[in-house]
Amino acid sequence: MTVRRLTSSEQLIGAALCVGYVMMLVWTAPDLAMSRDESFYAHAAKEYGGWVVELLKNPSSALTREQIDRAWDYNWEHPAWMKLTFAWAWLVHQKLGLFSSESLAFRFPGMLTAGLLLWLIYAWGAVIIGRTGALFGALAFATLPRVFYHSHLAAFDVPIAFLITLTAYAYWRTLSDSKWALLTGLAFGLALATKHNSWILPGIFLIHYLWVRRQYALADRLDRPTLAWLPSMLVIGPIVLIATWPWVWHHTASRLLAYAQFHLSHVHYTYEYLGVSYFEPPLPISVPFIMTLFTVPLTILVLALIGLVHRRAALAPPWRTRRGDPTDTRADVLWLGCLAAPLLAIALPSSPIFGGTKHWITAYPFLALFAGWGFVAVTDLARGPLSTERRWPAWTFAALFLAPGLVQTTHSHPFGLSHYTPIAGGVAGAADLGMNRQFWGFTTGSLADWIVETLPDGGTVWTCDTTWGAWRMMQADRRLPSNIRPVRSMAEADLVLVHHEPHFNEVDFQAWMAFDDVQPVHVLTYDGVPIISVYQNRRKR
Amino acid sequence: MADPGRKSSLAAWVWVLVACVAVFELVADTVIRARVPTDASWEDATAFVRERFEPTDRVVAAPRWIDPLVRSYLGDLFSLSSASVGDLAGVRRVWEVGIRGATSRREPPALEESFGGVRVRMWPVTTDEVLFDFVEGIGRAKVDLLTERGAQPCPWIHAKVEGGGLGHGPLPPPDRFVCDPGRPWLWVGPTVVADLDLQPRRCVWQHPAGREPVRATFRDVPLGDKLVVQGGLDYNNERTAGNIAVRLRVFIDGRLAGEMRHQDRDGWSRLEIDTARLNGSVRQVRIETIAAKSHGRTFCWSASTRRAQGEP
Repeated sequence: MTVRRLTSSEQLIGAALCVGYVMMLVWTAPDLAMSRDESFYAHAAKEYGGWVVELLKNPSSALTREQIDRAWDYNWEHPAWMKLTFAWAWLVHQKLGLFSSESLAFRFPGMLTAGLLLWLIYAWGAVIIGRTGALFGALAFATLPRVFYHSHLAAFDVPIAFLITLTAYAYWRTLSDSKWALLTGLAFGLALATKHNSWILPGIFLIHYLWVRRQYALADRLDRPTLAWLPSMLVIGPIVLIATWPWVWHHTASRLLAYAQFHLSHVHYTYEYLGVSYFEPPLPISVPFIMTLFTVPLTILVLALIGLVHRRAALAPPWRTRRGDPTDTRADVLWLGCLAAPLLAIALPSSPIFGGTKHWITAYPFLALFAGWGFVAVTDLARGPLSTERRWPAWTFAALFLAPGLVQTTHSHPFGLSHYTPIAGGVAGAADLGMNRQFWGFTTGSLADWIVETLPDGGTVWTCDTTWGAWRMMQADRRLPSNIRPVRSMAEADLVLVHHEPHFNEVDFQAWMAFDDVQPVHVLTYDGVPIISVYQNRRKR
Repeated sequence: MADPGRKSSLAAWVWVLVACVAVFELVADTVIRARVPTDASWEDATAFVRERFEPTDRVVAAPRWIDPLVRSYLGDLFSLSSASVGDLAGVRRVWEVGIRGATSRREPPALEESFGGVRVRMWPVTTDEVLFDFVEGIGRAKVDLLTERGAQPCPWIHAKVEGGGLGHGPLPPPDRFVCDPGRPWLWVGPTVVADLDLQPRRCVWQHPAGREPVRATFRDVPLGDKLVVQGGLDYNNERTAGNIAVRLRVFIDGRLAGEMRHQDRDGWSRLEIDTARLNGSVRQVRIETIAAKSHGRTFCWSASTRRAQGEP
């Protein structure tokens, strides 16, 4: 089977999606303070960037074990690829002042992967579903509220979603054209060098490959899909991982093992779900599915389900193949594997408690592709009763079906992680249900103006879940003046912030004790739901 | 047998289903946002409560997650005790400030007013009379650590309060008994801990020192029908399911009157000591905490003497 090439107009549409989305992200990024993890990665990027500069100036010094360890020991628990891109963007910004703020410099590479992911969803979708369904799928992905939030960040979640989708695409192309094997290995290497979500890819591909191979065998086809992707992934993948990660250039085996061990025995995050604050496994199996139901617009979920039903013949198991049946490389089966695997991995009772939708965000490009199929199916079916072959119903439907996601995503900003869809009852409904309200402390950005107004002559703030790195980034971005400083001891602070989430209740009560006062001077809310309480030190009022 | 023509014609209308879902989402989103109470509703509702509030009243939030908002408007009417959860002993009326139809009590209220999306309800309640609150009275107690060398007094000191943060446990008050500066957790004083359910508990921190009892002695305690003690560990330790019990013993005039044996994951425990035969008298009450090992035994208790009047 040969895969058709994209036309130049299709490439143009993909590029427009990419550029348009990145521009939207750049435009809306100033509303979002850096999240907890971003602050660590930004710090790591500065360390790594310093080493890169040293490498360019004085390679023999930079390559000594001491210099490598000095620069790369920080945040060793994640591979280096995206942090290196953050470092390069920051270094370029230092020289050329390309970006409007320092945080944007760190975030831009992640935003770029979000744009490229839209392009890729469109490109792959156009080949399999056709242009209309592909465009719908890409736009459906872009208007998922949680995806929109994560797409802004100097983090790994959207980059790994892009690289997993890219690897899956390259693998799928390899099945019919072994020239793609090299790119499969390279993409897999970059995925490995970005985040450990990539570890499940060989398993998905192997199942898919055996599925396709069995189908070809039963159909009695002489040609068989190539296995060239496997050695490429097994050889090039680790080479890219190691080559882009100087920390493992020494003690390679033991450090790679430590890295794997870190994630296999990861600490359990405390996560509120349906009224229970889970702090030890097992997290209920339903978490990724209910969280998907509560955070992905229902219209998109319904369309994805329709898409799955519509493609049931293409998802038929290989043993139903009869001699002489037509065969193909079963993109739908691969998509279903890439959609289901991340959700199932998190649902496993043995998985560490993560909870946040970002941990299975790699499933959502494929969910969007099935939504694209669903959209095509619905518009095709509608032509009968609407008795028209004109194109307007497709565009009308697209506008109507994308509107909920667009409206919800717009409203979710800048509280992306606190947003819940109407099926959960919205933000307040989710609070009633006892769902996770936020994490990472980035919502402090929504308080910046209030803090500046409250402390006109400067002062001190106990910042709760907002790291000092994130605080300093707000200062570097000129959202906070340098004379408003974070402090370690609550009782010494002018203001104490409490990010509302049940396991932070302890901090709320500490604030009561620190100031002998239970009255917040300000409560930041989102749709009426408390996000941050601020206590003010009466001695300093 | 199904008619294939009919089946396909039904499938042709699936777009109506999806369109309905999209319209539902758009309408529901608008309705949900429109239901969020305005600042004016909150101001009117809480002003209504404030005008009628009396010192023996208690204000509660429904649902519980709006508690920070209620405190932001009415926090000056709260003490550390009334902001914490616990029974209603000593309370004469309960005011509930609620949204979204949530309620904390099932029975019909004596008063109900709505202010936009904020509803105020009030119930008169008949509860035990509190004769002595040990948490409020801890500053007047004598605290010591009973060692092999005898009773080592723990002086009442004023010290800097430092720290705060996730997993750090409760903050100490600036004024507290300190038994051993070398063991910074070995202090006795009033604080607020997060219990197993992450709810606030106003209580006296009396971390056992091990097998050597930490003792708080209260003179001239007026007794009623009962002495109610409640206690537990800070949630960080309550969760651990270790097997080292904390024992809290209550002595009245030097005689053992009751004992609570608290295991991890018991949650906030209750001990009720019948003092009916001593009703009306004034006695010395001593509260001791011990444990086989001290590590992680972040025990905190509250207690009061009460005269029964109605609901507990």
